[in-house]
Amino acid sequence: MKPICSGRFDGLIESLSRGAAQLTSRRGFLSQCGLWLVAASSLPLLPVARRAQAGERPVAKPARKFASEFANHAQTNDPTRCNYWRYCASDGYLCACCGGGPHTCPPGTSPSPTSWIGSCINPDDGRTYLIAYRDCCGQDSCGRCACLGQEGDMPSYRPQVNNDIVWCFGASSMVYHCSSAGLVGLAE
Amino acid sequence: MRQFAAALALALAASIVSAGSPPAASGSNVPDIETRRSGLQLAPMPRTAQLYATNCQGCHGEFGSSAAEIPTLAGRVGYFTRIPEGRRYLVQVPNVALNANSDADIAAVLNWLLATYSRAQLAADFQPYTASEVAELRQARIDVVASRRRIVDALLAAGQIPSADTLALPHIVLY
Ligand code: HEC
Repeated sequence: MKPICSGRFDGLIESLSRGAAQLTSRRGFLSQCGLWLVAASSLPLLPVARRAQAGERPVAKPARKFASEFANHAQTNDPTRCNYWRYCASDGYLCACCGGGPHTCPPGTSPSPTSWIGSCINPDDGRTYLIAYRDCCGQDSCGRCACLGQEGDMPSYRPQVNNDIVWCFGASSMVYHCSSAGLVGLAE
Repeated sequence: MRQFAAALALALAASIVSAGSPPAASGSNVPDIETRRSGLQLAPMPRTAQLYATNCQGCHGEFGSSAAEIPTLAGRVGYFTRIPEGRRYLVQVPNVALNANSDADIAAVLNWLLATYSRAQLAADFQPYTASEVAELRQARIDVVASRRRIVDALLAAGQIPSADTLALPHIVLY
């Protein structure tokens, strides 16, 4: 076989790649590629990576004393975990794990016009904020990151303070997909 | 490949539907992954606005209107204050009368609601609700549908609302 490139380095690379081409099939190469893609994209889903994203305080902080037990263990960096501070009274699957964000609906679902309002303490500034828990509706239950924050939840004889109700009534579709948690305001 | 992935990510991000963005105001920055970078500031909400938010907003919406199943308050509730039975009705509607808050708080939230969302429709001589008035009125249990129909008819007959459509409720199919 006549080398098509000149130069010692080029020649080396050429013979190496020709060798590689003979040893491996194209399909095999593609499947390897695919494997690496999947592996790389699933990495951030591992708790390790989340810990790294959360960054600022991965290790235990001195116990703070808030009136709320939830707030004592809450964090403000990772909306895909149940202890994200805004979820103190959330019930259901986290939209942040279902293709949306903490206050955004995943594609293909729409926010219900009605919501359930709770108040949560932000562990970093110790202040209380009002949070609107809004269901995203229109596709089957997402099923990921089920969280039950029961703070301020009341028995169902007072419907406006019970968070087990599917608040999808009023949305274009009654089907519950996941729950979002938007900031309403600062309570004082 | 990378370009394709970037385009896909962009398309995904663009198709995410916002479920309501927080109101901006001056105050201190909210320490949160979403707002730390954007620098969102929130000023403390006045107490009555908070009462509305925690007791009523879930159903009636941030700006006094939401789902078809729930009567719109914005631009409408004020009309009820134009006749005595209508004024009583606003306290006796079940979600107001049976609310767990004090009489004073209910009076405050009603006055706030009327002034904020429906000032233009108030009776010319409107007097704010008082705690003792609420205390007395909320004892009664009314038939909401019948009372409301009677009040709307009376308002129309007295020329207090432009037409029967003004306070009409949409036809709702419950499922
Ligand atoms: C659980 C949902 C819910 C909550 C919470 C709620 N409401 Fe309502 N509200 C309704 C519904 C539904 C009606 C229609 C009448 C009925 O069926 O009771 C209504 C009717 C009303 C009306 C009469 C409007 C009309 O046009 O007839 C007023 C005024 C009102 N609500 C005020 C309030 C106030 C003030 C609060 C907070 C203290 C509140 N509501 C909380 C659901 C709610």
